[in-house]
Amino acid sequence: MVKRLRDMPEVEARHLERIECPTYGDTPLLAGKPLNECRVAIISTAGLHRRGDRPFRPGDGSYRVIAGETPGSELVMSHISVNFDRTGFQQDLNVAFPIDRLRELVADGTVGSMSAVHYSFMGAFPPAAAELHAQHLAGLLKGDKVDAVLLVPV
Amino acid sequence: MGALGHFLEREGIPTTGISLVREHTEKVRPPRALWVTFELGRPLGIPGDAPFQRRVVKAALDLLARTDGPLIADYPEHVDEAADFTGWACPINLAPTQVDSLEAEIDRLATWYDRAVADQGRTTVGVSGLDMIAAGRLVAEALEGALPPAQSLKEAIDDLKAYYLEAASAFPHPGSSKTRKTWFWDETRLARSLLALQPKLAASEDPQHKILANLTLIPATERHRLTAI
Repeated sequence: MVKRLRDMPEVEARHLERIECPTYGDTPLLAGKPLNECRVAIISTAGLHRRGDRPFRPGDGSYRVIAGETPGSELVMSHISVNFDRTGFQQDLNVAFPIDRLRELVADGTVGSMSAVHYSFMGAFPPAAAELHAQHLAGLLKGDKVDAVLLVPV
Repeated sequence: MGALGHFLEREGIPTTGISLVREHTEKVRPPRALWVTFELGRPLGIPGDAPFQRRVVKAALDLLARTDGPLIADYPEHVDEAADFTGWACPINLAPTQVDSLEAEIDRLATWYDRAVADQGRTTVGVSGLDMIAAGRLVAEALEGALPPAQSLKEAIDDLKAYYLEAASAFPHPGSSKTRKTWFWDETRLARSLLALQPKLAASEDPQHKILANLTLIPATERHRLTAI
């Protein structure tokens, strides 16, 4: 079981330690609606997109659009990193992009509703390259009446 | 990932998220994070285990009720290491000496790949738009010195790796994902080709080839093999 970097195989820990992390001033947390009234969108950083969409490239801070009804068989992953497992995703889309789980939580009333559209970035982006895209995305999310976002990394 | 939490929350959208590397999240300090101890690439923990995944999603979403952040909550469930299958072996001999070309190896896996797609009802192959023989040809030509653009090569290689590992999941004794990855790097001609390609890409004057060689071709855990070839 992986706990902290010190518990990981040395070579993997060293790789992760070398990744530069941006720092930010604290962002005040917004008080949202109760979960059972929330419209939720998933934003993945797994580099997911529909087969045939423009694949991600190094330094790419843009996002791809994944309509809620996109069949799982249409989704592929073009994340540039080779340092995470892809076999889980090959076996089950939801282990990286839990769209069916969110759908179930909506069906049983735990979550209010699911957005019409979800999004994916490719997590190895330089944060500055993604900031403007994220600001634009916030407008799209509001247009879809999204109340909260679930961020899912790989 | 955590950066997106800052960006969106500042634009008026409440966010919550999963954290796979606690040390990174402690630095980035996104508004809300559920730290999980799962393998990188598996933020929901266990493929095919819907109740488990649902508990993780619910725990992350429950953090939305909190405004006392930035906060990192520790998820209480863990995933045991998958069992290793001692003596596990590929049912068809794909050792590099047994197939005389990458194309032959790709061809020999086709039956297993087709079975995997039938079992799963989907495939993750298909980023490059190439069929697998053509993708293999691109790798073979690169090895002979005709380096294609880095992006085309990367997409072809990612598709080939997905094809190999999906095919291996349909073997009669598929082992664990860990043993299949070991099989890929230990036994396949494709893996040997990638290891042989790395120094050629590193020596290219094209900076994109260098990025591919140094960062996005060989996983950190397999780079020790570069000195062995």
